[in-house]
Amino acid sequence: MNISLRLLKKFVDLPADLSYEQIAYDLTMRTVEVEDIINTADKFHDIVVGEIKEVKAHPNADALKICIVDVGEDELKQIVCGGSNLTEGHKVCVSKPGAEVVWHGEGEPVLIKESKLRGEKSYGMICGATEVYLADIYPPHDEREIVDFTDLGVECNVGQCVAEVAGLDDVILEVDNKSLSNRPDLWGHYGIARELAAIYKLPFNELSDELPVGLPEYPVTIREPERCNRFTATKIENVSVKESPVWMKTLITNAGMRPINALVDITNYVLLAVGSPQHAYDSTHVEGDEIIVRLADDGEKLLLLDEKDLELTHDHLVICDAVKPLNLAGIKGGKDDSVLDTTDSVILECAIFTAPGIRRTTAYFNEKTDAALRYEKGIDTQRASLGVSLALRLFKEIYPECRITAFTDCYPVKTEKAVIDITQEFLDRRLGEVLPQSEIEDILIRLGYEVEFDNGTYHCKAPTWRSTGDVSIHDDILGDIARLIGYEYFKKQPLKVNFEHSVNQVKADLARKLREYLAFRCGFNEIFTYPWIDERFINAAGIDTDKSIRLATPPAPELGILRSSLIPGILETIDKNYRNFDSFSIFEAAQVFEKGEYRPSTEEEVLPVHRNLLSGAMVGKDAPVLFYSVKGVIEGLAGYCHCEPLDFVQKEKPSWADEKVWLNIRTGKKIIGSIGLISVSALSESGIKLTNAAAFEIDTEGLRPYPSRTNEFKPLPQYPLVQQDLSLLVDESMTWEQIRDAIKYMVKDLKFVEEYRGKQIPAGKKSVMLTLKIGNDDSTMTSKQIEKKMAGIIKVLSNKCKAELR
Amino acid sequence: MLKKLEQIRQEGFESISSAADMEKLEMIRKELTGKKSSLQEVLKSLGGLDPELRKSVGMKANEVKTFFAEKIKEKEEELIANASVLEGELDLTLPGIEVPQGALHPITQMCYDLNDAFRSLGFEIYSEDDISSEKFAFDNLNFAADHPARASMDTYWLEGTEDKRGNERLCLRPHLTGGSVRYLLEHGAPARFVYPGRVYRNETTDARHERAFFQYEALIVDKDVSFSSGRVMIETILEKVFGRKVNVRMREGFFPFTEPGYEIDMECLLCGGKGCKACNHAGWIEVMPGGVIHPNVLRAANLDPDEWTGFYTNIGLDRLVMMRYGVDDVRLFHSADLRFLKQFK
Repeated sequence: MNISLRLLKKFVDLPADLSYEQIAYDLTMRTVEVEDIINTADKFHDIVVGEIKEVKAHPNADALKICIVDVGEDELKQIVCGGSNLTEGHKVCVSKPGAEVVWHGEGEPVLIKESKLRGEKSYGMICGATEVYLADIYPPHDEREIVDFTDLGVECNVGQCVAEVAGLDDVILEVDNKSLSNRPDLWGHYGIARELAAIYKLPFNELSDELPVGLPEYPVTIREPERCNRFTATKIENVSVKESPVWMKTLITNAGMRPINALVDITNYVLLAVGSPQHAYDSTHVEGDEIIVRLADDGEKLLLLDEKDLELTHDHLVICDAVKPLNLAGIKGGKDDSVLDTTDSVILECAIFTAPGIRRTTAYFNEKTDAALRYEKGIDTQRASLGVSLALRLFKEIYPECRITAFTDCYPVKTEKAVIDITQEFLDRRLGEVLPQSEIEDILIRLGYEVEFDNGTYHCKAPTWRSTGDVSIHDDILGDIARLIGYEYFKKQPLKVNFEHSVNQVKADLARKLREYLAFRCGFNEIFTYPWIDERFINAAGIDTDKSIRLATPPAPELGILRSSLIPGILETIDKNYRNFDSFSIFEAAQVFEKGEYRPSTEEEVLPVHRNLLSGAMVGKDAPVLFYSVKGVIEGLAGYCHCEPLDFVQKEKPSWADEKVWLNIRTGKKIIGSIGLISVSALSESGIKLTNAAAFEIDTEGLRPYPSRTNEFKPLPQYPLVQQDLSLLVDESMTWEQIRDAIKYMVKDLKFVEEYRGKQIPAGKKSVMLTLKIGNDDSTMTSKQIEKKMAGIIKVLSNKCKAELR
Repeated sequence: MLKKLEQIRQEGFESISSAADMEKLEMIRKELTGKKSSLQEVLKSLGGLDPELRKSVGMKANEVKTFFAEKIKEKEEELIANASVLEGELDLTLPGIEVPQGALHPITQMCYDLNDAFRSLGFEIYSEDDISSEKFAFDNLNFAADHPARASMDTYWLEGTEDKRGNERLCLRPHLTGGSVRYLLEHGAPARFVYPGRVYRNETTDARHERAFFQYEALIVDKDVSFSSGRVMIETILEKVFGRKVNVRMREGFFPFTEPGYEIDMECLLCGGKGCKACNHAGWIEVMPGGVIHPNVLRAANLDPDEWTGFYTNIGLDRLVMMRYGVDDVRLFHSADLRFLKQFK
C-alpha cells in the first residue's frame, strides 16, 4: 500500500523537523514495514514554470513556432514548439535541459538537451500534460495542447518546479502489504496517522462519524446478515460527471490510483483516507428503486466494469435491485449500473462485508481489487459511518448544489468492542521491567482503548477497529505496549542456565558423524536434491511407484512423485555433473516416503511412512575400482561413526544395481541397505555416457549407534611379529573370503594385497597376493618355528583352496 | 722417513678435502689407511729401523693415522650435512598430491555451526518429519481457518488428501513451527530446543525464491522468560556464527503463532549497515522472525499459558548462507552442481 505523506498530514500534524526517513523507520520498527520511500517530485526535476514573452513564426516550418521564454534564469531562452495554444504572457510548463519527459505520453522517458529544430536553436521544450506526467491532473483537450497554467487559473511563479505547482511534491511510503495483513485498521491513511500520533504523542485529528438524519429511507434489504453486517445507502441528486478538484486528483494520484471523475474519485478518496470501500450507482439504473443484498442464483450472470462476464454461483454475494444483480458485493461494480457519463443522481453504497466470503469470491474470480483487499482483512462495522460522513462532506464541497434525498442504515450486526483484562503483574513479568501506570494508560488510550485501572488490573475495551480478530487476548495488549515503547528500548535479559542434565543425543550425533565421515574422510560432496523427482530418473532407477506418495499440485507435471529412494536424485546429479568432472563422489541424506501408517505425535494423525536414507555414489571410469572404493567407504563407516559393525551379504538385488556387482549391507542380521555398480540400463536411461558409478543406500534408522566412543585398546605385542608375503595361484572361482577364512585362525594379521591375471597366469586361474603376520605370545619366533608355521599355512591353503605358491 | 710421513699427511689431507661424495671418501679412506697404503708401508717398515728412529717415526705415523681418521670423520659429517636424497633436480613449484576434497553442503555447515552454538547454551536438537498434517502445520499454530497459507497456491498438499481437513489433510511441511508442538507433546516443559530442516512452499522460483528451502528454528519454553531475552540469545548465536559482534534490531512483526511477534533484522555484513544492493539499500537484512509463543499454541501442546511462556526464533538458513558467502542465487543450493558445492571446504 502506498502512503502519501500529504494525505497523512490531514489527520496528524507532523512536525516540520521530523524527516520522512525517521517516519519510515519508526513505522517499520513499531507498526508496519516500510519497504521503500519514493519522492514523487523526483521525476519533475528541471521541469519548471516558464512565461512566454514572445511567439514568432518559424522560418522553415509552418507547424512550429519560436517562443522566447522566461524560465527564471538570467536570460530569456528560445524554444521551438508546435503547441496549438501558445499565448504571449501566459505561464506554461517548460522542460529544461536535463529533464526527462515522455514523448507524446508513450514509451520510456527521454533526456532533454539543447538542440536545433529545423535550423532554429531550441533551449528545451514547452510540454503538453501527457509528456510531463500531468495528464491525470490537467487533462488535455487536444493532442497539440500545451499545459497553460494561466488558462487553468493555477497560481504559480516563473522558475517554480511544476511538481510543487501541481501538488505532486509528495513523499510516498511503500508499505509491505504482508505486514498489514493482521491490521485491517491500517488499510487507510487515517489508521496509519493514528499510529504516528501514538508513536510521537501528537494530537490526532478525528473525523466525524455523523450520519444524515431526518431523511426518507431508501429501501434496502439484507438477506445475508452473516455476509453483510451493514449496508448504508444514500441517495444524492443533482450531481454530474465532472473533473475533481486538483487537490483531490493529486492525492489520489500520489497514493497510486488514477482520478476518473468526481463521483468515482470521492469514493476512491474515502477508500484511501479511511479504508472504507464505497460504490456509487447511477440511481436511474436501480430498477424498482430498491436494493437487495443476497446470494446469487447458480448460473446467474453479471457483467463487470472491466467487461468481464461472470457466471455466478450460490456462494457469491451480489447487490441487486428489484430485478438483477448490480454489483459483485465488496469486490467490483457492474458495468451497466455504475457511474455513467450521463449520471445526475447516485445511490452511494457504504457497506461492511465479512472477510471469509470476500476471500472465497475474490479467489474464485481472481479479482483482487482495492475494496476486496480491505474487506478480506475484516473491517469493523463502525467504519462505514466514517466513510459516509466523509463522503457526504466531499459531495457538499464539490457539488454545492447537490441534494441528499434519502438515507438508510441497514445494520444487522455491530462489531463489539473486545473486553480484556490485563494485570500489572503479567505486564511486569513478560516485559521484563516495570512500566508506570500512566505510561501504559497513555499508550493504550492513544491507540483507541478505553482503560480503567483497578487493584492491579487494567480493564480494557479495545477499539472496534481492532476488535475484528486482531485484539482478543491480553497478550495482544502486551504486544501493543511493547511495540509502541519500542523493542529496542527494553533492557536485554540474560538467559538463565539450567544444569539439570547434559544434552546427550546419540541419534543426532550419528546423523552428523555420517555426513562428516563421508565429506571429510572419504572426500564426498554433500548434495541436496528436491523431494519431488523427475519421473525419468525414477524409471531409470527401476523404482516401483505403486506405493509412492504424490503431490496434489506438483511444481511441474513430471515432478508429481515424492521420492521413495535417493538414487534417482543421485542419477540426476551424475547426469548434471559428469561432463564437468571425470571423477567425483557425492552423497545426500534425506527423508523418503511411501504409503503406510505412521503416527509420530498423536493417535489421530496418520502420516505416510518416512525413512531416513543416506545415499551416495562414486563416479569415474574404472568400475571395479569404484565398487571396491564404495565398499571400503561402507566398511570404514561403522568404526568412524561408532555404531555396531556392518557386513555384507547378497540377498535382495536393488532395482538400480548391476546384474552381478551388488551386495546388501547388514548390521546384526538385518539388511539395512545396499551397494553396487549402477546398472547399464539405469545409466543409459539417465543419459549418462562413458561413465561408471558405484552407489550405496542405507536406511540410517537401522544403524545402531553406541552410547559413546568404542575404540578399544589392545596391549602391544611383547615380541616382534614376523611379516611374510605370499603369492598364490588359485582357480578363478576361489574367493578372497574362502582364502581368508581358511587361514585367519593361524595368523596374527592378514591382508589382501592384489589380484593378478596376465600372461604368466594360466587360463582359468588367477594370482592372489597377500601379506600376513605371525608370532608367538611368549617369545620371539625362531627361524625354525617360522618355517614350520608357514609350511602349515601353505598346506592348509593347498588343501582348502587348492592354492599353489607362485 | 719423517719427511715422507709429513708428505703423506699433507697429500692425504688434500685428498680428503677434495672428496666430493661418500663413495669417493670411502676410496680415499682405503687409499690412505688401507693395507696397501703408503702409511701402512711405513708402519710395516718400522721393524727395520733403529730404536730411536723407530720411536719417533712410529709416533709420527700414529699421529698421521689419527689425523686421517679425524679428518675423514669431519669430512663425512660435512658430506652428510650437505647431502640430498635426490640426485637430480626437483621442481618445487609443482602442485602437491591432492587429498580427497569432500565437503558438507554450505547449508549443512551453517546448520552445524548453529547447532554448536545452541548446544553450548544447553539446547537439544530435534527434527520433525518432512510430511505433516494441516492439524500440526496450521490448526495447532493458531492459523485462521481460512488463512491463505492453507490454500494449494501456497502449500504442497498430498494427492488424495487435499480436500480433507485437519489430521487427514497432509502436506510437505510449509514451515518448521509445527514440530515445536510435537516436541512439547513428547517432552513437556520447560524445554529449550532447536529443530532445523527443509520446508516447502508452492512458489514461483527466481534468484530470491525457492520451493524448497531451509529454516532453523529455536524455541524456549519456561516460566517467567521475557521476550527481551530473545535478543540476547540471537546476538550470541550470530556472534558465534560470524565470528564477530553483529548488530541486530527487533521490530514489530505478525505471525499467527506468536503474540507479540517481531521481526529480527541483522546489520548487513556486506556494507556494514551503510546500505548496498544486497540489503536493498536498507542497511538491515531481515533474517528471522520470532516472538512470544501464542497461548493457543501452548494449549495445543497441553501446556497452561498462565504458567508457561517462551519465544520462537526462526532463522532463514538460505539467506544467512547467502549473506555469509555473498551467494546471489538461492536456487544454487538445490542445484547439486559440483562447480558450486566444491567451493565450500
